[in-house]
Amino acid sequence: MIAYLLNLATLATVFGILAASLNLLIGYAGIFSMAHAVFFGLGAYAGAQIAMLLVPDVLLACLAAAAVAGLLSLCLALPALRVRGEYFVVASLGLQMVAITVFSEAHAVTGGHGGLVGIPPATLFGLNIGDPGAFLLVCLAVLALVLLGIRVLMRGSFGRSLMAIRDSESAAKAFGKDVPRIKTLAVGLGCALAGVAGALFAFYMAFVNVESFTLEQSVLVMAMVIIGGTATLAGPLIGVLLLLLLPAGLSFLTFIPPTEIGAVQQFIYGLAMTLLMIFRPAGIAGLSTGRR
Amino acid sequence: MLILQLLVSGIQTGAIYALTAAGFALIFGATRIFHVAHGATFALAGYAFVGLVNGGFGWPLACLGALVLAVAFGLAMDRFVYRPIQRHEGSFFTVFVAAFGVTIMVQSLIEIGFGRSFAAVSTPLTRAHQLLPGLYVAEVFWVAVAAALVLFAAVTLFLERTRLGIGLRALSENPELLRAYGLSARRLSMIAFGLGSALAVPGAVLTAITTGLQPSISAQVMLVSLAASVVGGIGSLRGAALAGLLLGVVENLVVSVLDTQWSSAAGFVVLFAFILFRPSGLFGRAVAR
Amino acid sequence: MQGLLSVRGLEKHFGGLAAVQKVDLDLQEGVTTALVGPNGAGKTTLFNLITGNIVPDSGTVTVAGAAVTGRRPHEIARLGVARSFQDLRLFGRMTVRDNVLAAIEHGAWFWQPGGGAARRAREAAVESALERTGLSHLAKARAVDLSYAETKFLSVARILATGARIWLLDEPASGLDLNSRNRFVALVREAVAAGVTVCLIEHNLDIVTELADRIAFLDRGAKLAEGEPAAILRDPELIAIYFGERRP
Repeated sequence: MIAYLLNLATLATVFGILAASLNLLIGYAGIFSMAHAVFFGLGAYAGAQIAMLLVPDVLLACLAAAAVAGLLSLCLALPALRVRGEYFVVASLGLQMVAITVFSEAHAVTGGHGGLVGIPPATLFGLNIGDPGAFLLVCLAVLALVLLGIRVLMRGSFGRSLMAIRDSESAAKAFGKDVPRIKTLAVGLGCALAGVAGALFAFYMAFVNVESFTLEQSVLVMAMVIIGGTATLAGPLIGVLLLLLLPAGLSFLTFIPPTEIGAVQQFIYGLAMTLLMIFRPAGIAGLSTGRR
Repeated sequence: MLILQLLVSGIQTGAIYALTAAGFALIFGATRIFHVAHGATFALAGYAFVGLVNGGFGWPLACLGALVLAVAFGLAMDRFVYRPIQRHEGSFFTVFVAAFGVTIMVQSLIEIGFGRSFAAVSTPLTRAHQLLPGLYVAEVFWVAVAAALVLFAAVTLFLERTRLGIGLRALSENPELLRAYGLSARRLSMIAFGLGSALAVPGAVLTAITTGLQPSISAQVMLVSLAASVVGGIGSLRGAALAGLLLGVVENLVVSVLDTQWSSAAGFVVLFAFILFRPSGLFGRAVAR
Repeated sequence: MQGLLSVRGLEKHFGGLAAVQKVDLDLQEGVTTALVGPNGAGKTTLFNLITGNIVPDSGTVTVAGAAVTGRRPHEIARLGVARSFQDLRLFGRMTVRDNVLAAIEHGAWFWQPGGGAARRAREAAVESALERTGLSHLAKARAVDLSYAETKFLSVARILATGARIWLLDEPASGLDLNSRNRFVALVREAVAAGVTVCLIEHNLDIVTELADRIAFLDRGAKLAEGEPAAILRDPELIAIYFGERRP
């Protein structure tokens, strides 16, 4: 039971980081990326490779993951600067589809469909933190740092610039905002944090393959952010807890055959997304706390 | 001969894509709603056809059933999802997420009802005949091409020659013309959704009898429709159709130089290039907004 | 004489339509100029060309002697050219205070240059702008929750706080009640007295005569006349065009 709870808590923490990073794009910057799982994946592969080839140091792996995902975020920033609205969503979908093919075909780096197996247990400055409890603590610390960082940035001038661009790009330009640079930075930061979540995910699972970085994953994370409430600090976390607890909760409903749990779960979150958009577009946290 | 063979299958895929994308473009052009649940319409129609045929009904009845379900679904989306959202806010992303949610629901319902494996109807139509030495063409190829040409011509005629069609084209851009014609915007948007959804049916039926259906087909079709609409110029019917054809051909031709795994990615590389370098698409006017 | 902001031979075509053709305009320092003309005369397009939102087909724009044609909007803004929009374009989901503060933070990295002193100066500018526009008590309200007149004043507060030398106002007083309208006129006069050069697009000819020292009359993208308000507004031909009684 303890092991089960630890597992759930660690996954929730990793997805909390991932959802918070996507919220930076969707909620604050108004950049509706459907390719977030790509950067989660890039981080996971980068972290796993560092751990397997160099040292399994969490800090080093996270930094490498952030660097790789942050650099390649230019693939997302480029369309974000050129097109808006529907066009951008379609572009990010395109990126997601191309990336998944690259992930499955670049065997040398990603292990293809088989994935990367045998990622060594994590260490931190030479200390072994492979034990589930210790690793959860590390993940929680990273989540806390990420949330703190996002809060400080979003309450500061960078957050104001981002939100100003989100609310009216032309007015932001007219008041001296260097829109391309601010957007590129935001995309870079959001994707780098997704990369960090990916590296932690890789250590935790000790195995990564392309199945974790598909369009379905991108949609799941998007659903977490939107159901919880965009542009709020707590919203994405609420969304993560709800959507991760959903399958656990469904398994108690004995009348659902276990083989259908996946489909029922999908159905429920599809339904939740649709109903929320019709009745509460601001999401759950957007409803309860008003603004932030 | 390989190239020619791939071209034939590319045109067959492309004809299906073209019709489906034209339906999506018709809806978007008239209502400015990015109807991402169009893929779900396709899946529902396809599975309805398979279900009815397996249930012992004849093909004409099964096609009719698929058509009814597709149109009803399109109209229901308009009435119960898009309209309530547009009444209070209507940011494009809200619409997008809601429609995406419905797509997920439809996909999971199909999984529960039909399972995750392929569902298909087998027919002698798909048996290939040797047309030239080394070139095999099944009758279904001619059916697909003919269906695409006839339906596309019919829709084009309808849009350009009839009062309703002109009203549909004016709906998003020239509301005053509507008033002059005495047409109601609400009725026109219903017609757009009904007609657009109906255009997904032939593709769905053809897919059911050729490659077969999977629950994830809705996401695939959604992506292809989106891609074709963007490449063709958002809202342009012939652009979307041509781009759909192009995507189908590219997907199949790529196999001659790369592994098959790259085929759908190739389509999206084309899409990505268009968005970056020619966002107005093949036939687009200026970039939207 | 070349003005603080000077436009020479500016032209812009959209497809076959000449939105702005061969327009010369000078905003002399301290002189308030009104752009007057029927709808579709190209007034807003002229603003968009000056502020870099649209790149002209030909012609030049200079600010204080420096050519700015072809430069990006945020660079032109930083030279001290502030504008309002006909549809306001407030930062809707941000608070009133953040709307104004965001308008004067130009640093594009994660922080602003200048440290604590600069930050306190910005905060003081925001407080003063809110006070002068009568919005202090609404500082924490969201822009979307404001009344119509309040949103109008917020759009002025954003400009006020920037300390820009040149204001381009696009129908800033349209739809205001009498009281708000008078407060608005007083606000602009105060700014002009403090050395701001104002150019405004305005349909209300009362406000034009109250505020403007000069009028430039535009029709179908071309400048038909420019001069003292009294002279322009007495010209029967221009008035006929303005009120849409255009002869064939």
